[in-house]
Amino acid sequence: MLDRIIFGDNQFFGINHMSEDKAQALAERFKNLKAITDVIETAYDCGIRAFMFNTHERTADICEYLRRNESRLREIVLYPSMPYAHKYANAVAEKGIFGAIKEFIVTGSTAGDILEMLTKGGMTLFEQDTIKVMQILIDMEMKMFRGLNVKVVFLQNIVTDLLLGFRAKDYLTGFVSYVRSRYGVDAGFNTMNMPMLVDFLIECGIENPIVCSSINKAGYLMNPDKGAYEKSLKEKTFCAMAMSVLASGGIKPRDAIEYVCNQKAIKSIVFGASSRQHIIETKELIEKYS
Amino acid sequence: MIKAGFIGFGRMGMTHFSILNIHPSVQAVAVCDQSATMLKIAKKYLNVQTYTDYEKMLDECQLDCVIISTPGDSHAEIMKVCLQRGLHIFVEKPLAMTVLDGQSVIAELGARPLVNQVGYVNRFNEVFMEIKQLLARDLIGNVVNFSSEMYGATVLKDSKSGWRSNKKAGGGCMFEFASHCIDLVVYLFDKPDSVAGSVLQSIYSSEVEDLVSSTFIYKKGLSGSISVNWSDETFRKPVNIIKIFGTHGKIIADKHSFKIYLKKSDNLNGFDPGWNTRYITDFARSVRFYVRGNEFTRQLDYFVDCIEGRVSDNVACFSEGLKTDILMEEITKDAAMQAGRAIMASGGVAALGRTPERKSFWKKLFRSKEKKYA
Repeated sequence: MLDRIIFGDNQFFGINHMSEDKAQALAERFKNLKAITDVIETAYDCGIRAFMFNTHERTADICEYLRRNESRLREIVLYPSMPYAHKYANAVAEKGIFGAIKEFIVTGSTAGDILEMLTKGGMTLFEQDTIKVMQILIDMEMKMFRGLNVKVVFLQNIVTDLLLGFRAKDYLTGFVSYVRSRYGVDAGFNTMNMPMLVDFLIECGIENPIVCSSINKAGYLMNPDKGAYEKSLKEKTFCAMAMSVLASGGIKPRDAIEYVCNQKAIKSIVFGASSRQHIIETKELIEKYS
Repeated sequence: MIKAGFIGFGRMGMTHFSILNIHPSVQAVAVCDQSATMLKIAKKYLNVQTYTDYEKMLDECQLDCVIISTPGDSHAEIMKVCLQRGLHIFVEKPLAMTVLDGQSVIAELGARPLVNQVGYVNRFNEVFMEIKQLLARDLIGNVVNFSSEMYGATVLKDSKSGWRSNKKAGGGCMFEFASHCIDLVVYLFDKPDSVAGSVLQSIYSSEVEDLVSSTFIYKKGLSGSISVNWSDETFRKPVNIIKIFGTHGKIIADKHSFKIYLKKSDNLNGFDPGWNTRYITDFARSVRFYVRGNEFTRQLDYFVDCIEGRVSDNVACFSEGLKTDILMEEITKDAAMQAGRAIMASGGVAALGRTPERKSFWKKLFRSKEKKYA
């Protein structure tokens, strides 16, 4: 059962889809870890228990904070989303895709990990079994969440959508089965192309897939269009999660939440906020219209 | 169905493949790359023919178009071969490494009725498309001055590996990064008549420039500046910022929003006198399939629309791409002249090494002079 309300993290990392100025202001505001953990504490105080975190470099510090304060924040459940693509972008630009992956694996591994990899086939793995490489990468990204209560592990939208365009069934099903077998939790997908992805995941044999996408009254970041999203929500069997419900602030909160709550198939709503007032206001609106 | 072949299968090649692979009018037939690993994966999972030799790919596959995403130094040769075979071409920016190469490609294109597009993706960004329309309506009066800036955190340390740190292969801030900023100027204001005060500066890289700045001068009474830095870690991802000053107002825009200041109201757009802000959420247009930004899909769908004859204006054609190539060459020459003057002003080559962080730049200049006179 997915949490109805999930607190998102874009604001912490200076991400705003609507304005570079707002993104800059957020980056300044959340310069220090304390500013981030203060907002997490506030959200927890307001009764929010579920948090979605991208595997940003700073998320490791947030996780460390959650572990240190486990007794107080013990009901927290996490919905990690991986990979945080910008973390790799520069390494990819410099060394190519495989060079970047190799570097990431080597720098993020202990000597023991590397020894284990070598015995499993070493770097020739890249050529022979890219699914195995994907599994190693998932493990590396999951390390930061050790000891914490993880509910669903998401594949981030850049990778999901690239694979969707490739029609790369094996990677998508491989992600789901590995997350289930290794971590005992469900896998989900972030996407900018919800209707197409849902059809493809069902075609791949993934039953009742968990799909998180932008769903908002403005139709922002909804491809191919809002109508196709509404149709999928009505007709397809999947666990729908809505993000960007406020369209990065482009819609009035009341209208935004009323619209999303009227889409009855939506199981959970991801939203981010930076102040107690906004957290309370949005949470109350969701509860009112649900 | 349009049969497409992909030459170059790195980050951009894969993105283009993903976008076109599920285009209803396109069949992605073949991929060509130097990486055996990449080709093995493509063959196994993507249901395509794979090649290491693009000419062999062209021989064996009955292609209608190619998507070229190789390092810049190979563009001209590949494009000429493809044109001789009558293929429509989408090529990643820049068009070519030199103006001469670019011109030879355009000469090869000649009157052939082939679609030719350069990957200047800012031309397909909703905000910049909107700004182009506002300027066409003379909304801010005569445009007098602009600045076009681009920043990112692409290079934060010296790297000698990979083609991006190799100038000859098409690396460096100018070809890789500033080309987008310069093309945005060409798109909005056309090519300037001259450039002045240009600087190419290294920050971390020892082999290429990390910073480009220049002043653009137009005979029609317009001037502007470009400022590009790909070593600025304060930016999470690359940003373009353009500021345009006109006799009746001003525009400040980035990829996600714009502000417009007007002396008078404008009923058509609902702008009041004074500042007006518009966010992308106000006028964003969805695409059939989104990967890494809707402008990437828009530019490739436009390429297909051109092939199928649905549009004919070809907004990012080779001749437009050549304008940016010409400007990059002019800026490079101008910067070398400026640097030469700086050496003279600081007491000639005896001044070498005074500023430690610029040492490699000066050294390089000195070395090239030595070669020249040897």
